[in-house]
Amino acid sequence: MNRRHMVRSLFLGSSMFPALLGELLAKESAPGVANPLAPKAPHFAGTAKRVIFIYLSGGMSHVDSFDPKPKLSEYQREGKTREGGGKALGSPWPSKPHGQSGIEVTDLFPNIAECVDDLCIVRSMRGDHNDHFQATLGIHTGSVTFKRPSVGSWVTYGLGTENQNLPCYVVLAPDLPYAGSQVWSSDFLPGVFSGTRMSSGPEPVPDLNRRAPVAAMQKDELSLLERFNRKHQRQHPGDPMLEARIKSYETAFGMQMTMPQVLDLSKETDATLALYGTERGSTAGFGWQCLVARRMMERGVRFVELIDVGSSKNWDAHGDIHTHAPLARAIDQPIAGLLADLKSRGLLQDTLVAFTTEFGRSPGPEGEMGRGHYNRAYSSWLAGGGVKGGVVYGKTDEFGAKIAEKECHVHDFHATILHCLGFDHTKLTFRHAGRDYRLTDVAGNVVQEILA
Amino acid sequence: MRRIGGILLFAAVLNAQNAPSPEGVAFFEKHIRPLLADNCYGCHSAKLAKPMSGLLLDSKAGMLRGGSSGSSAIVPGKPDESLIIGAVRGTGNLKMPPGKKLEPQEIENLVEWIRMGAPDPRTEGAALPISSYDWEKARQHWAFHPVQDPQPPRAPAEWDRSAIDEFIKAKLDEKKLIPQPHASKLALIRRATYDLIGLPPTPEEVDAFLKDTSPKAFEKVVDRLLASQQYGERWGRHWLDVVRYADTAGDNADFPVPSMYRYRNWVIAAFNSDKPYDEFVREQIAGDILASRDDMASKNIEQWQQDLIATGYLANARRFGSRAAEFHLTIDDIIDNLGKGILGLTVGCARCHDHKFDPIPTTDYYGLYGIFKSTRYAHAGTEIYPHTYGFAALNPDKANELKYYEIELSGLDNRIEDIKAGRIKFATLEERRKAEQENQQRLKKLSAEYPYLLKAYAVSEGKPADARILVRGEPQTLGPAAPRGFLTVLGGQKLPPEEKGSGRLELAGWLTDLKNPLTARVMVNRIWLGHFGQGIVATPDDFGTRGEAPSNPELLDWLASRFLESGWSVKKMHRLIMLSRTYQMASGDHPQNALKDPKNIYLWRFNRRRLDAEEIRDSLLAVSGNLDPAPGGQQPFPPEMGWKYTQHKPFVGAEGDYDTNQRSVYLMQQRIRRQPFLDLFDGSDPNAETGVRPVTTTALQALYTMNDPFFHRQAESVVGRVMAQATDAERMRYAFRLLYGRAPAADEARESRQFLDRVRHDLEGSTVAEDQRNRQAWASLMRVLLSSNEFLTLD
Repeated sequence: MNRRHMVRSLFLGSSMFPALLGELLAKESAPGVANPLAPKAPHFAGTAKRVIFIYLSGGMSHVDSFDPKPKLSEYQREGKTREGGGKALGSPWPSKPHGQSGIEVTDLFPNIAECVDDLCIVRSMRGDHNDHFQATLGIHTGSVTFKRPSVGSWVTYGLGTENQNLPCYVVLAPDLPYAGSQVWSSDFLPGVFSGTRMSSGPEPVPDLNRRAPVAAMQKDELSLLERFNRKHQRQHPGDPMLEARIKSYETAFGMQMTMPQVLDLSKETDATLALYGTERGSTAGFGWQCLVARRMMERGVRFVELIDVGSSKNWDAHGDIHTHAPLARAIDQPIAGLLADLKSRGLLQDTLVAFTTEFGRSPGPEGEMGRGHYNRAYSSWLAGGGVKGGVVYGKTDEFGAKIAEKECHVHDFHATILHCLGFDHTKLTFRHAGRDYRLTDVAGNVVQEILA
Repeated sequence: MRRIGGILLFAAVLNAQNAPSPEGVAFFEKHIRPLLADNCYGCHSAKLAKPMSGLLLDSKAGMLRGGSSGSSAIVPGKPDESLIIGAVRGTGNLKMPPGKKLEPQEIENLVEWIRMGAPDPRTEGAALPISSYDWEKARQHWAFHPVQDPQPPRAPAEWDRSAIDEFIKAKLDEKKLIPQPHASKLALIRRATYDLIGLPPTPEEVDAFLKDTSPKAFEKVVDRLLASQQYGERWGRHWLDVVRYADTAGDNADFPVPSMYRYRNWVIAAFNSDKPYDEFVREQIAGDILASRDDMASKNIEQWQQDLIATGYLANARRFGSRAAEFHLTIDDIIDNLGKGILGLTVGCARCHDHKFDPIPTTDYYGLYGIFKSTRYAHAGTEIYPHTYGFAALNPDKANELKYYEIELSGLDNRIEDIKAGRIKFATLEERRKAEQENQQRLKKLSAEYPYLLKAYAVSEGKPADARILVRGEPQTLGPAAPRGFLTVLGGQKLPPEEKGSGRLELAGWLTDLKNPLTARVMVNRIWLGHFGQGIVATPDDFGTRGEAPSNPELLDWLASRFLESGWSVKKMHRLIMLSRTYQMASGDHPQNALKDPKNIYLWRFNRRRLDAEEIRDSLLAVSGNLDPAPGGQQPFPPEMGWKYTQHKPFVGAEGDYDTNQRSVYLMQQRIRRQPFLDLFDGSDPNAETGVRPVTTTALQALYTMNDPFFHRQAESVVGRVMAQATDAERMRYAFRLLYGRAPAADEARESRQFLDRVRHDLEGSTVAEDQRNRQAWASLMRVLLSSNEFLTLD
């Protein structure tokens, strides 16, 4: 038993000190082996240490959620044409002011609405493409054309991770989104920074579960493997790759042990489960995803992405905007619960929660009751991690058709996320094919105004 | 230079002959100069240290020359073709001035002024040479020099057998590095076998080599490996990395391309037959044109088919979007790939502006762009236009039949889309419905009778025309046309005016011209990289100024000269390299060397490496006896007429990605979803040129060998082979020989025996049936041996 095993056996089975365990293990790295996942300092002290990135697939309507436009209903009623052209489709969801800030949002997300004082709502988002596939890549990678590393990959490339027994960048997505796994791909960044997609099924990560029929057998295998590898290493000195591979088995074993603990919700109280709107024993639904995200954050995972639905039966409400209702219901309470839970545990102050989608939806109708794609103006929000709560940034015109004030391009959104984590987005670069690439390409401005 | 010079000259002529009229000057002074000064000079003046985009609007020459986009800001007399007008109108993506819109009257004045011929009295401020290059200096860069044939330096005994060794030894001496001794024969045969065929040597092959004490022993091994079918399966894969091979198109619905495999197999066959590299390149760029000459279809049908299939290189470029509107990105992908892959230049960087580091102006980029725009590409299907067309019929008799179905089916796609989009008008809704129904019915009928003819995902000649520059790479903003031609820094030849084709044939000729200094250098560097794990130029896709300089430039040129001299023979290059002392060095450590040259740039030892993804999987299959050596054919995609893929429900390979026991090069590779195993072990990216695969070591890889069902199955199959031996001692010996090519050492045998006892003990009282426990224990031992660094790394 080396120290590592000692550390593990001390804390294994105890859910009291998950973060401590991770920390102890993270600090141990083999001498001479540069662990790309070791925690790294950013350019300056950031206000956030970790990120939960919530992405709604299909294009969630801004005018039906966080950017209410009563004028649309008025114009629809009166059959008037919008200034600037086109018909209007009013939102089925009425809106009213909420919280101390009095920010007006619709009833589509009644629980999130109660959290507005914690949110910084950006009403002037703008993307570069009006089609799902490209826009989905855009909000994740900054590029709507050629494939680039995902925002989660950039963040983990910059910061490493706090818990070597868990993947640094976890994606909880029951279905594949548009553009598939490219969405969380590290692309030209080293593969360790790729998102690891976890499912709620019996094997959350491929090959996580022990396949050897008894536990002792696997331990014996790992122990003989280490002895043979050490012998081989003595005959081949001075090669960090061999050492890294020996270490990787320790980490894998740690992961095999730690991951089920992260996913074991049995010690969560009824009150907590209720907060997320999830039932004991259920691993279905967004409540489970949000609760697991919180547990990941506690244990030092750097970046968790939550995707609610896949590339079909999603927010793409061409036929009828009412299809937003069940989708919203599925995520509303879980997200509100997540915010409340993070807050009560003191995690929200250094955890940045981002809530976004690939584009908004047209203020005018498509067919009778549907809305088309709309990348010229839409809404997202940020919470925690050093952004102001209870504020609105940017403004659209009275129909939600045009950005009227303070455009926040996807690059600006990304630049701001990186800033909260302590990065100058122009300096977080990677040399590839003769050029220094970055998340924000050659653009992006930090939205200083929303920083707390 | 020529073009830019031309424009400067043009400006000068304009000055001399057409001195602006007094009215024109008055108009300029009254309306235009103040407008430019107030709105533009802030960013676009020669007085600034770094004018934006290199564009100068405070001089006549500057306006005519334009900025780094390569297009002039104004075209006198033609306001609609003048970039500045589009920018101030804000019609495209380029909107100027930033955050402000000019008054309508101001815009009108600008239009009027350009219509008048842009009379401009300004004589000051000649345009700075920002978007042009100092060509004299640019050509000094090593990679643009002609390939030399340097004399190898003299070297002491043991290092004087090959010029490679002489070059390497001289460099080692210069850097005071001590080379490693010869590798052991076991290490050598493992190294050579993996390097050339990507598989482990069998115990018999190891024995034969160890017993063979003749001086030609190793040469015989190399020749045997070069002659095997497996050689192409490994080296073809290297090339498939470069050309970002995939079995799907990469559009929003990621349509499958069942006939793509023909190109993959063509590449494998080309390596196996040692097709000269210049032919190899020519056929991929212009195979269809080569095939169309001399009535080849009737003379040599197979050759004709192969030439068409070869253009799968171009057809396999990535597709974008759901329709066809984003095809410019596909052409960009082609140029990017051709630049990096064949020339070792990041030509793609000149798409939106002149290359910032290498002498590649945007006009050069669009000179190539025109060639590829004058080409027709097979359409693999997209969400809106799901039916395929433009494929090459491989049976000339059936070409018309294929064309008939392609035209009919894709025509129906168009009509249905036009009806849906309201582009075809109907008097009544009923009529519209009827028309739609008729079209759908016709589609159904054609689908039912569709003959699945032999075809290839290929390209053909399109309408030849020069392309207009897409300013900043955006198709909405068109600049002037760029004459089709090749890179200025490498000659800059333009297509002759009488050229009737796209220019691909000329491009292929230019690429493989013996005087082209890059093509041969880039390829020998790739071959070297395939053996040593690093190139003489460490950035194999970038020989430009931002790439690494060669660690041994004389050696690189000497190799390139031999390559050309041998008639571009790749196999001869392997022999040359592998028979050197340098290749046969041990991979051991040397602390002093490691301090001086930690990255082993000068090759004081052989680079130990982890097996790559394909090697790992193929080795597991090989030692388990499960490897199916048959070449792979078409992927078992659903039949074409049933395809209804959309971005909402894209094509996703069936569970297990059509798992097979054939070699990994034949695994289905999808663009929007990486093959999980290959992804896990750093396989190449099917979306982007991969010159060097990064190697990572992760816990998820360790979990794979601990728990993956495929891995466990192979270990169990190894047990099947091992148990055929009579005694435990023989079994142990057999297993070590099978996996490592050597017998177990005494302590290893002892530890293994103790391990078996322990595991049998572990299994007592378990659910594993008693008569299975011994076998399970052996499987457990095999997993250990298969997970070990000795199995997974190569000395």
